[in-house]
Amino acid sequence: MSIIQLKNISKIYNPDTIPVYALDKVNLEIQEGEFTAIVGPSGSGKTTLLNMLGGLDLPSEGKILINNTDLQSLSSKQLIDFRLYNIGFVFQDYSLLPVLTAKENVEFIMQLQNRSKAEYEKRAIELLDEVGLGERIHNRPSKLSGGQQQRVAVARALATKPKFILADEPTANLDSKSTNDLLDIMKKMNKESNITFIFATHDQRVIDKARRVITIDDGAIIKDEINTSVA
Amino acid sequence: MIAAISWRNVWRTKLRSLVIIMAIAIGLTGGVLSVGVFNGLAEQKMRTAIDTQTAHIQIHKKGFTDDYDIHYFLENPDKIVAAIEKDKRIKSFSTRTISELMIRTANGSAGVQLLGINPEAEKSISTIWESVVDGAYFEGIKRNPILISQKTAEKLKVKVKSKIILSMLDGDGNAVDAGFRVVGIFKTSSSMFDEATAFVRQGDLQRLTLMKGVNHEITIKVTDLEEVSPVIASLKSNLPDDLQIESWKEVQPELAYISDMTGQMNFLFLGIILFALAFGILNTMLMAIFERIKEIGVLMAVGMNKFKIFMMIVFETIFLALIGGFIGIVISAILMLWLGNQGINLSVVGEGLAAYGVGQILYPQLSGAFYFQLILMVFFTAIFSSIYPAFKALKLKPVEAIHG
Repeated sequence: MSIIQLKNISKIYNPDTIPVYALDKVNLEIQEGEFTAIVGPSGSGKTTLLNMLGGLDLPSEGKILINNTDLQSLSSKQLIDFRLYNIGFVFQDYSLLPVLTAKENVEFIMQLQNRSKAEYEKRAIELLDEVGLGERIHNRPSKLSGGQQQRVAVARALATKPKFILADEPTANLDSKSTNDLLDIMKKMNKESNITFIFATHDQRVIDKARRVITIDDGAIIKDEINTSVA
Repeated sequence: MIAAISWRNVWRTKLRSLVIIMAIAIGLTGGVLSVGVFNGLAEQKMRTAIDTQTAHIQIHKKGFTDDYDIHYFLENPDKIVAAIEKDKRIKSFSTRTISELMIRTANGSAGVQLLGINPEAEKSISTIWESVVDGAYFEGIKRNPILISQKTAEKLKVKVKSKIILSMLDGDGNAVDAGFRVVGIFKTSSSMFDEATAFVRQGDLQRLTLMKGVNHEITIKVTDLEEVSPVIASLKSNLPDDLQIESWKEVQPELAYISDMTGQMNFLFLGIILFALAFGILNTMLMAIFERIKEIGVLMAVGMNKFKIFMMIVFETIFLALIGGFIGIVISAILMLWLGNQGINLSVVGEGLAAYGVGQILYPQLSGAFYFQLILMVFFTAIFSSIYPAFKALKLKPVEAIHG
């Protein structure tokens, strides 16, 4: 089942003067449960594409459907709510709130969904356990390593039970061990819970674990292939 | 959680927060102390005037205070006294006979308003007997004793027991000179009152002016300042229309003006201080927002709505301001308590203060209600300061903000 459909989308900057196509008539479908990497050189349009998928930016032309919802039809307030309930984000620099503990960072986003205290406390502990940080739940980000912080970010992204998770260069700041640990956790969740992950990455270690690899250059998809060696 | 985040955000950049907190605390302390001093000045001036000059209520025959013509005396004073004695809200009263005249000595002369008083009754409505700095309050001299001020004594170069001549007109319009002996010298905190006033026994003045039993004024003190208006209303309804029954505010309108203006000026003064502090708070919050552009962008991206972001910034600003406000109010309350008891010795500007009508020791004072109003003012200052930074944050676009 397609959870994301991009129909002929373009993103054009300076349309009235010298148009620059960040994305040019991109068509893409992503199915539920995919573990997909979007790759390409800097300036190729990866981040623009990821912003479109995350509802952070809207296309100049074309249509984005997520779970059959046309993002362009939503008001900005609806779009914020849509992101809260449908999309999980993992950023390159973790982007945790420094004043909250690991547990509070995970709980916080569930509070935005107005869940009950009992529910968000239980789920935060479960998720942090799942990413191997059961012992560090009361630590603030400054007391955690980069890898640990990124695992908290993954737990936070999962906390809202999103339709898919967008990860923008999630391993760029991590060492090999932390990268492997993080990818193992995400892969496990993908396999066991059928959670959809979409990465924008340069990291070969991520690309090697992705089942589907989409290559983009000059704002267009130039390759879309299934990595059959990955289960 | 929003409030918790805001609270913790206050302490993220401790030094910066402490600097603005201390600025608020010091600014408020200075402001509160100044207001306390202004209030103390106004209050002392009012109290001095009430205690030595006006009492709470004065009754005259209509027209008397226009020219202080001795022929405008109170008719049927017994009826007035009976009405006064019936009212339980009236604590005390005293009758006075008044004449404007010249005091002469070999060294000079001075024009004064001579108050003919009943010394014992006067004690219950005026503190003039406590202001005697030399001699005694109508004791020790049997014939024609007079109480004059230190200013007048210095001007006329007289001492206790010196003889002075009073030149006045009697009830028939004839000039009368009478010898009096200084029984005591008083000094109140109002040099203007001191220069213009002298006291003799009521009977002596009535005898000399051939106006036996004549009263020009009845001064009244009530049990509570709040009772002044109701008592006046009651007296007016029970006494003849030819009487002028006035509160201390009507007798000395400048006192009422000072009393009313002080309250308004105090709030204006504090408002200016808080307005200036608001820009300090605003600047601090703007710096905080600019530092956290990426963080706010991430919060917007993950689904925090604009209202919550707005409130997060408003809360942080309120916390910052209230901490500073709380510290400032506690410090100033302690200082006010101490200074209110000890007083501030302003003898270096004693003459100026005396001309204004207050003593050299100033007792700053503030009401509990003032502190409550101040907390509200700090709170609204915080809200005012938070609006611009909060809107600035709301204008951020997550797609741009998340990349810093």
